[in-house]
Parts: sequence; C-alpha cells; structure tokens
Amino acid sequence: MAGERVPLGELSSEFASVQLTIDHDGNGPRLRIEDLRTGHVGFLDPLELETLAWLPEGALHKLLDPSLLRWRGDA
Amino acid sequence: MHATSEAAGMRIDTDLLREVEQFIFREARFQDELEYDRWEALWTDDGVYWVPANGDDTDPTKQVSIIFDNRARIATRIKQLHTGKRHSQTPPSRLRRLVSNVELLGEGDDGQVRAGANFVVYESRERGVTLWAGRSEYTLCRTPDGLRMSYKKVALVDNDRALYTLAFLI
Amino acid sequence: MTSADLANRWDSLIEPGRVHGSLYTDPDIYAAELERIWYRTWVYVGHVSEVPEPNDYVLKSIGPQPVIMSRDKQGQIHLLLNRCSHRANLVCDAQKGNSSAFRCPYHGWTFSNTGKLLGYPFNSGYDGTALKSELGLGRVARVASYQGFVFGSFAQDGPTLEEHLGAATDAFDRLVRLSPTGEVELTAGWLKHKVKANWKMLVENETDGYHPQFVHASIFSVADSGIGELYGDKSVAVCRDLGNGHTENDLRPEFRRLDQPLGWFGTDPAKVPGYVDQLTAVHGDNTREILIDGSPHVMVFPNLFIAEIQLFVIQPLAVDETVQHVTAVQYKGSPDMNRRMLQQTIGSVGPAGFLLADDSEMYERNQRGVHARTPEWLTIKRGLHRERRDENDHVIGDATDEVPQRAIWKHYRSLMEGQ
Ligand code: FES
Ligand SMILES: [Fe+2]
Repeated sequence: MAGERVPLGELSSEFASVQLTIDHDGNGPRLRIEDLRTGHVGFLDPLELETLAWLPEGALHKLLDPSLLRWRGDA
Repeated sequence: MHATSEAAGMRIDTDLLREVEQFIFREARFQDELEYDRWEALWTDDGVYWVPANGDDTDPTKQVSIIFDNRARIATRIKQLHTGKRHSQTPPSRLRRLVSNVELLGEGDDGQVRAGANFVVYESRERGVTLWAGRSEYTLCRTPDGLRMSYKKVALVDNDRALYTLAFLI
Repeated sequence: MTSADLANRWDSLIEPGRVHGSLYTDPDIYAAELERIWYRTWVYVGHVSEVPEPNDYVLKSIGPQPVIMSRDKQGQIHLLLNRCSHRANLVCDAQKGNSSAFRCPYHGWTFSNTGKLLGYPFNSGYDGTALKSELGLGRVARVASYQGFVFGSFAQDGPTLEEHLGAATDAFDRLVRLSPTGEVELTAGWLKHKVKANWKMLVENETDGYHPQFVHASIFSVADSGIGELYGDKSVAVCRDLGNGHTENDLRPEFRRLDQPLGWFGTDPAKVPGYVDQLTAVHGDNTREILIDGSPHVMVFPNLFIAEIQLFVIQPLAVDETVQHVTAVQYKGSPDMNRRMLQQTIGSVGPAGFLLADDSEMYERNQRGVHARTPEWLTIKRGLHRERRDENDHVIGDATDEVPQRAIWKHYRSLMEGQ
C-alpha cells in the first residue's frame, strides 16, 4: 500500500481552501492536508484525528490566532 | 446529443447556424416590439421558460426562480400582458436588445438543437434606464412550422442581486 | 435640522386621518427613522432554519446594516455586524457558509463566530494584548426568536420580543400550525426585488385591502381567481389593528363562509393527500377547521410580512430605495405541499411575479406622485366612521378599510416621538 494516496476531496470556505488525501507513505495511514492557497502541507494521524473529534467547543480557537504560529509576532 | 462545435476544427453546419440565428433574432424582435402572440407561438406545447435566481444552476423545483413557467403559465403571462392592466407594463417598457455570440451547443438524433446566445437589453421606462445582460440557452425543435422553443433558460448576470421589476419578456 | 425640531414635528405631520407627503421623501426623516425605528425596535433578521447546523452562518441585514447571523457550536444564534474591528473591512463575503471563525481578508484579524477577537497577525506590533478583549465584532444588542423567527434589536433595553409582537404572536402560531411538524423552514432561497420607493409605501401596501381589485385585476381575471372578491365590498373579511404597528387582513370570516378546506390556497385536500394525512395525524378532528381558516396575512412592523405562503422582508436602503426579499414558506417534512407553495410563489412574487411586479409599479408611482406639491397630504380616512372593536378589543374595519394604515402611522408616530 505504500505510496498509495486516496484523494478525499477539497474543502473550501471563503476563509480557507484545503485538499484532503489519505496518505500511505508511512507505516500507517495519515490524513494529508494541503493548504491550497500556499501549498503548505500538514499531516494528522488517527490518534490526533480522534482527539480532534473530542475537542470541546472553542479548543481550536487558540490555534486560530494568526500570531500563534503562522504570522508570529516575535519572528 | 453530440457536440457540433466544441472541438477545434470540427465543421460547423452553417445552414443550421444561420437558421438558429434567424430564429433567435426574430424572437428578440418579437419581445422588443411587444408582439406577444407571435412570441408565444414560438413555443412548443410543452415549453419551459426559466429565469433562475441566485446563480445559474439552482434546482427550480426546490429553490425560488425569477420565472419558472410551464406552457400554461407562459400563456397566463401573455394573457395578463394583453389585459392592458398589467401595470408594470402599462405603459410598456421601450426595449431594444442586442443578441450575440450565437453558438450551436448540440444536436439530438430527434432533430432537437441546443443553442446559446448572449444578450444585452436596454429598457427605458419612467423609472429610468435599466440594463439587463445575460445568456440564453435554447432547446429548439423542428416542427412543420419551422423551429420552435421547447426550453429557454435566461441566466441574468445580476441574478444574485436585488433586481428592479422585470415585467417585459426577457 | 436638529432632533429637537424633528421631535416637535411629528404631530404636525401625522394626523389620525392623514399623513404628510414629506414623510416619504425627506432624507432627514429617513435618517431619524433609522435611529428611532430600525436601530431601536425589534426587527426581523432571519430564521433558524437558515443556519441549521453548528457553525453555520448567513449574511442578513437590519435596514442598511450588514448583519452576520451565526449559530455557534452550542447552537446559540448570534447577530454580529459585518465590519472588522480593525479598519472596518467586511469580514464575511459569502452569502452563507460554515466556519467557527471568520478571518478578515484585509489584514487577517480573526474572530470567533460568537464575535470574539481570537487574534491578529504579528502581535508584537501591538503593545500588550488588551486590544484582544476590547475589539470583538460589533453585535446587535438583543437577539430573540419566536417560533424560529429571529429578531434583533440594537437597543440595550426596551420591550421584550414577545411584548413587541403582542397579539401578532398568534400569526406565527397559526403559520406553524399548518405544518404537520409544527415547524416551517425557509430553505427555498430569496428573491430580491428592488424598488425606487420609500419603505413605508411597502409596509402600508401589505395589509391594504383596498388595492387588490385594482392593482391585481389583470391576473385575477386571466387566472379566474377568487382573491379579488375577498377584498370586495361584499366581503365579510376584516382588517385589524393588532397593536404596536402590526396589522392584519383577516380573511377567515370569508373562508369560513365559503367552507372549503384549502380553499385559501386555491386547491383541495384531494390534491395534497400526503399533507392532509400528516396534518390529520396531528390535529385529528380540528384539521378541517385549520384547513379552512388557512394561513395568516399579517404585517409585523416594521419589516416582516407573513403573506399566507410567502414571507417578505422589507429592507430600506435610502429614503427612496427599498429591497423586498421574499421566499416561499416550506412546511418541514411536507414535500407535496412544499412543491406547490414554491411554484405558486415563483408565479406570484419577485421582479417578474404576476402580483408583485404590479405592486412594485404602484410603490414607484406613489413615490413619484408624492413629490407633486399639492395636495400635500395622503388621506387614510377610509372606514374611519365604521371602525369597531373585536372580542379582543382590537380595532377592526371592513375588508377594504384603512384601519391598518392608521395603525401603522399611530405606532410610527409613537416611536418617532419617543426619546
Ligand atoms: S480591516 Fe480587518 S484586518 Fe484590517
Ligand atoms: Fe398587492
């Protein structure tokens, strides 16, 4: 199965556009997320995804702060 | 239906194109000159006249449209105009439209022709001048009396915005 | 003109039987109306069915104000102003979407769908983080809903929504009672019809029982419709002042006299058996009566018109420009009835509708006419001599009387005079 990629589709809103793929390059499957506006790619493994499913309301809001990672104030 | 003009280098049936153009231009003239009955006679008995709202490809059985007339409702529309008490067309709008980019889109084995055209309508009434632009798509059927419309869809460029009254034939 | 001048003016512009033409044309009066009516009283904004899922949002308005109606993850509805707290860019563009947060396209400020500022790029450019707690999105001060209809008020305090709706709550109850699930859905999209006329021309026309036989004679005659008679001199229908500017054409007396289930909708139970079965399962023996009485025809001041099978929302944009938004009522879970209500709506209303195109022509002709210098007044005396009170002490009149117009202006005056 290594190297196989299962495209899941594109999700877009007026704020973001991402391409989702199940990626089999590793020893186990991962969700591959490509930010279609920049080409930046990130991965989430099943345990991380399961954790996301259990996130309480607003838990991601900290991460949505633009200064936190992507447009860092101290960079 | 198979495409007649999509592929580059494909031969166009110019006779058919001319015939379709003449039909569309005549339809435009009947609309501009308030020849309501002659316009109505251009329809087949099962004609559908559709002017979508909020996009060009909504589902008219689930979403509102500006116009979605079956043949009976087309007849009602014409009868209403004939009463002389259709206030939004009393007096009627002065109209002239330009139709262009006439294109054959496909031909069915049953002799049906699909065609498209772009248009701009200049409407003058007491309120002022209103410009309407869009694209019409037709399904035309061959009958003993010549081509007839079984389907006309008018996709207005502005159909997702607030529109003034549109009581003339678009 | 100062606001003190205006305050002294209302009694000289609005009398019980006539109103002054300048009320429709004066830009200062329009500006005062925005402050005293549109940005104070309860205004209808949207319906819960337009944001069915958590994190859904949809763009709406209160008059010229752009409003985002969002549903947060907990299900609570928020009305936020679509204006970035940084330098005022529009935060949302899409007519609707699903997102727990909104990111402004100008400099990336990011807000939760409850209006909280979550952050901005390169935060070392600001001295500390105090800004974050101060600069959320603006919000409509009060949000409340009745039978799924969401209203907003920019005033911090004032009457509750139910106090404001008063007797008009019955119209919502009657509307949803016709749905077998007790719920309506506004899922058919909106037609947006623009007119060069003052918003009050529309409000007054919605419950004007005097005009249908004239303005709509063309379609009534060719469609062989009985609607005209409902608003005739022989009709036993009444018009009603429901209080707080809400008004009604109550056609039930006529429908009861005619005694035809679904007659109000121009059809009969045999045509929509699925719907009638569903309704009977809920209402049993009362079903026949419910189907005879039909759906309300009520104008909820200042902007929601419940028109039997349609809902209209009136949006003023300038003293002489108004957009009328309209959609078909859909009963949750009743596809056969919904199809008919949608197709009838498409035929009747919107820019090309058999009915509304002609109403709109009248609004615009009114607006041009009212600029003529004399007579300066519009007369709304019809039926003044035969006003009476119903069993609930509401003022009523005959089908063609101008009770509703007088009721609208009375309430309007009280709002405009209020401090
Ligand atoms: S105006 Fe919105 S981020 Fe600057
Ligand atoms: Fe009307």
